[in-house]
Order: sequence, then structure tokens, then C-alpha cells
Amino acid sequence: MNNALPTLKGMPAGLFRGAFVVAASLVLAGCAPKYYVDRVGCPAPCAPDSYVVLIPSPDGSVGKVVVTGDKGEQALGKAGQAATTGGQAFQVDEKRIKDDFGAAMAALPRVPVRHVLYFSDGVKLDPASDAEISRIVAEARDRPAVDVTIIGHTDTLQSLEFNDRLGLKRANRVAELLRERGLKADSITVESRGKRNPAIPTQDNKFEPKNRRVEISVR
Amino acid sequence: MHKFLAIALFFLSASVFADDPVGRVKTVTGEAFVTTTGKKAKAEVGSPVYQGSLIETGKNSSLGITFKDETMVSFGANTVFTVSDYVYSPADGKLKFGSKLAKGSLNYVSGAIGKLKPEAVTVGTPSGTIGVRGTQFLVTVAE
Repeated sequence: MNNALPTLKGMPAGLFRGAFVVAASLVLAGCAPKYYVDRVGCPAPCAPDSYVVLIPSPDGSVGKVVVTGDKGEQALGKAGQAATTGGQAFQVDEKRIKDDFGAAMAALPRVPVRHVLYFSDGVKLDPASDAEISRIVAEARDRPAVDVTIIGHTDTLQSLEFNDRLGLKRANRVAELLRERGLKADSITVESRGKRNPAIPTQDNKFEPKNRRVEISVR
Repeated sequence: MHKFLAIALFFLSASVFADDPVGRVKTVTGEAFVTTTGKKAKAEVGSPVYQGSLIETGKNSSLGITFKDETMVSFGANTVFTVSDYVYSPADGKLKFGSKLAKGSLNYVSGAIGKLKPEAVTVGTPSGTIGVRGTQFLVTVAE
């Protein structure tokens, strides 16, 4: 974590998941591009208008971005670290981040949620997963313009073709249950990966209950 | 008969591909627009976003989009952003999030594309390119 940005920690956790913010403006307030490039880090109003800042993830870990531009290259790997979009090192304080990105941050959609439902056999849902269906429907109700993706998976018993079909049957069964219990969505997409994307990799022809599943993304 | 069916299916899948939205507007304040294949429409919650869509926000306006792979982007006022290249086909490993920010402000939060193939994510700006790198990032974005 970067101590230079203490109050960012207090912002809603949903804002920070491998995130960065960029301000790119073609209108430079009183500063010609050449001028600010020569004086990186100089106080406002001469600071550059176009820069990238890396933002921390909710668990405190931080991703990495590389900014490559007409002035060089900067790798950003620490929370609060910034670069001009032209690729030069840049310092920015928390107040300026809020001024420049407050509106964009406030407009961030709700973080999507994922669910995994398990099947004991064929298209029969485990009881615990069956109960989860109602929770998914309730949760979707609070979201604007909901998109749902339902992806069916299988274990490695049987052939690829068989499992592609079985995965689709499972996904369709979940879609049907969600609709029956009142899911309202702008789009529901149903797919199958069969045995191609196991949660637990196994040898072929292996029974594995954790792979008999349907993944649901609610956005 | 079989030949006919095959051709019909081909067209069906091709048209589904071209017309499939890659994301959807989830938040809007003020005046914002989505332009797709030359048609400009006022952005509303629920407006679909396609590969090639141009997003614009006006004065005192903002907008947020969630993509199919759970990537989220949101913008403050006076922004012009293009979804230049979006491919999300994890089954065959085809992943791409190419975008351009001509002006304005952007908050990017990675989704599955950034997690599975960080180097496939780019945001172009008038003076350079922002790319996502490193395995640390893969850990960060895990849901």
C-alpha cells in the first residue's frame, strides 16, 4: 500500500480491483505541451493534463501497467504511482486525483458478481445450489440493466461432444430456474464449455463433483 | 436440405456475432451519447455498446459501462472514448480489449480479459499507449 494516498483506502472497495485511471485532455489550461513536459512535477497550473494513476485493489495488492508514449516508457506498479500519458514519471496528490477522477469513479458500475452452482448428476442441482438460485434473482433485482451469462461445465466422464451437450443442458436448466423464480434481465446468455475448462484439472474419464458446475456472471 | 441448413446456420451465427453487444451502459448522469456504425443515440441505462462504439460525455456528465468479461470502464465529463477492438472468446483463447481515449477521464477496472491475457488490454491516448502487464495483476483481479 502507498502511504501517500491514505484516504483512498476509505473509498468504496468496489472501485479498486486492478484498476487505473487516466486523464487525457487535448485542452491544456495555459500550458503548452512542450512546457509541461520540460517541467514534470511542477505545481499547478503547469502540471500536465494527461496522466495515468494506478489505484489499489481492495485487498491491498496492486496490478501493473506500462505507459509507452512519445517521451518514454514508465512501468507503474505501486498504488498512487503516476505517469504522463507520454511516458514520463509524474507525481500527483490525492486531492488532484479526486478533482480529476471523482466523477469517473462515481460513475463506475456495480462490481459484477459470480456464482457457481453444482450438479449431483445430469441436470439435477445440489440442494444448496438450488437455494442459491433465489438469492441470485433477489440480487439481480437491485441492479440496473442486468446482463447474465450462464456457462455449463462437466467432469471428464464421457466424450467431448457428450459433455458439450450436457454442459449446455445444465446451463439451460439454470436459465429456466432463474426465469421461473422471476429473474428480470436485459440479456441472458447461455454457453457450454463441456469438459474443456475444469475447475479441478483431472485425467480423462474421471468423476469429479467440483467440475459438474454452472458458472453465473451477473453484471 | 443439409446444404441449405448449413448455409442458414452460417448466416445466423455470423449475424449474431456482428450484432452482439459487447457491453452495456449501467450508469449515466447528464448528457452522454453512444455512436455505433454512424448512428448516434442518447445514452441511457441499458444502452448496448458494440465493438467500434464511440462513447461521448458532455459537460457535467458521466457514464459507466460493464463489458461481457466484467471489465468496467467509467468516464467523467467531456470524454471521447472508442471501443476499437473487443474480443471475448475464452473457449478458444481469443481475447482483446483495445480502446482509445481521445480526451476526458477514464476509470478502468480489469475483468476476465485483463486476468487471462493482460497484454491484450490497451488504452491508447493521443500521446501514447497504456498497457497492462505482469502476473501481479492476474492475482489482483481474481473475483
